Amino acid sequence: MSQQTVTPRRHVDWTKWTLTLWGVLMFVFLFMPIVWILIYSFNTGRILTDWNGFGFDGYRSFFENPAPRAAVRTSLIVAAASAVVATLLGSLAGVALARRPGKWTGGFLFLVALVLVTPEIVDAIALLPWYVLLGQDANIVAFNNGYVRLIVSHSVFSTAVVTLIVRARLSGIDESLEEAAGDLYATPTKRFTQITLPLMLPAVLAGGLLAFTLSLDNTVISSFVFVQGSTPWPVYVFSSVKASLRPEIASISTLMFVLTVVAIGLVGLVLRRGGDSSSDIAATMTGTG
Amino acid sequence: MTTDTVETADPGSAAPAPGKPAKRRRARSPKFLLAIPAWTWFILFFALPVGLVLLYSLGEQVSTFVQKPNVSPSVWSLDNFGKAFDPAYAPIFWRTLRISITGTFICLVISVPFAYWLATKVSPKWRGLLLGLVLVPFWTNFLVRTIGWQLILAPNGFVSQKLQDIGITSGDLALLYTQTGVQIGVVYNYLPLMILPLYVAFERIDPALTEASKDLGANRLKTFVQVTMPLAVPGAIAGMLLVFIPLMGDYITASLLGGAKGSMAGVLVAEQFLNTFNWSRGAAMAVIMIGFILAALAVFAGIGLVLRAIVRARRRVSLPEAVA
Repeated sequence: MSQQTVTPRRHVDWTKWTLTLWGVLMFVFLFMPIVWILIYSFNTGRILTDWNGFGFDGYRSFFENPAPRAAVRTSLIVAAASAVVATLLGSLAGVALARRPGKWTGGFLFLVALVLVTPEIVDAIALLPWYVLLGQDANIVAFNNGYVRLIVSHSVFSTAVVTLIVRARLSGIDESLEEAAGDLYATPTKRFTQITLPLMLPAVLAGGLLAFTLSLDNTVISSFVFVQGSTPWPVYVFSSVKASLRPEIASISTLMFVLTVVAIGLVGLVLRRGGDSSSDIAATMTGTG
Repeated sequence: MTTDTVETADPGSAAPAPGKPAKRRRARSPKFLLAIPAWTWFILFFALPVGLVLLYSLGEQVSTFVQKPNVSPSVWSLDNFGKAFDPAYAPIFWRTLRISITGTFICLVISVPFAYWLATKVSPKWRGLLLGLVLVPFWTNFLVRTIGWQLILAPNGFVSQKLQDIGITSGDLALLYTQTGVQIGVVYNYLPLMILPLYVAFERIDPALTEASKDLGANRLKTFVQVTMPLAVPGAIAGMLLVFIPLMGDYITASLLGGAKGSMAGVLVAEQFLNTFNWSRGAAMAVIMIGFILAALAVFAGIGLVLRAIVRARRRVSLPEAVA
């Protein structure tokens, strides 16, 4: 015993120190562009890349200029609506997958997997002609509306995400609780609202918040399907980047960054209170679970 | 809470029809019905649109002013694929493949020690926080992160100045709008997708296994190579898939950091739809891109199977030695 306590103190654990150094370097790498954006959001110069001085000009021009504000507003509306749609559709599908698995499950899960792995650019170029077809050729005028297009497009991917999260949560819970409620004469509606729903609620909330953030951040699909007048903020930023980089862009990015971190923090909190471990949470939040 | 309300609700609902509940329990509603809305959604706004792209890729552009191609079966041909892969565009597909494979391997190599450190060397008290910090860049908007790299790589930026002050480089940083710039950008952008599955894999390894390996006389390197890493292979494969597939379809990184020299397939496809309005050629390019992804995955799976066979064959030979 005494030998064991003495030797490690003499012997420097080089492996651990090298790994720790590597870890620190990786964190520097991971945060470098974010820190850069945060710093340059206080640039008073006219061009983002040329540092002029410290000030709040970027933030001021964001609040004074109606275009970026309208873009943020559009994004928030679309994010909220698509989160509602995705949460509803995904939760129902998740319940069905967890509680009534059968022959249909394999095909459905394959479809979900396809939705999740298809590169976003493919969805984007597929949806643009599709909306033109529906809106102009089939004359379903709703699909000429930018909000409808954005909400529907964003909700497809999020529905797949919510489906998997809710399914994972319910699969981990024994159905006997719901059956017991049935034995105790609870109507199917009561059984759902009083047993199943509270059990799956953490997953539903987490899924809803994830859907919200996914929509808030969506750039590729949005920049294809949006209609003038309903420009979401990433598309506004994307088109500004192509024209010229103004400090205002970094300021909006910083504000949206704060919003995303808050939403993601909430997801973590909800999942933690639902009893997930930190690695479960990480897996859920990246769709890698 | 819930049990209380269920109990109080009982007399009311059960009293009028005592025979009902038993029946109700047997008549299990076909709950797959609940999946039908989501299924409809996926068919309407995923499967059919993507099917339309396949159809467009066989069609023919009517004129330069009409975006929508003629898709009547009489004009179906593979001409678009030939045009989409002619010498003007083919190098961009190959470059995309090269950037994606290189990017996936760089991500893997730099993430393995990091994820291992996070899962096994960091004290559990800090682990949750650090993992949260890895998620922050992942959840920061893709576009914002990429603009961050535009700032960092800018030839007149802070990094470029500092490197010249220190004397590492003599001229301005010349990485923006090059293939190297895109390579840095994609490694950065998809890195968390490699770190997280690896972390999960390392974290789930039972410490008893590595201890047993050390008790049996293996040093730390041998334990890592022969016990820890093989157990983390599923995580590594998941990470490689999660990085490679979206990387092949990347549009934003390449269009912000690539310029003409670092353009990728995703940008090419997008241009056909947004600038040149040749939907049928764009559709063919998208199909080629997906083809590249599937082919690469098939090769990857093949290599994996061969490697596994080799490892198994070698193990069979070395096992008696270990026993002896």
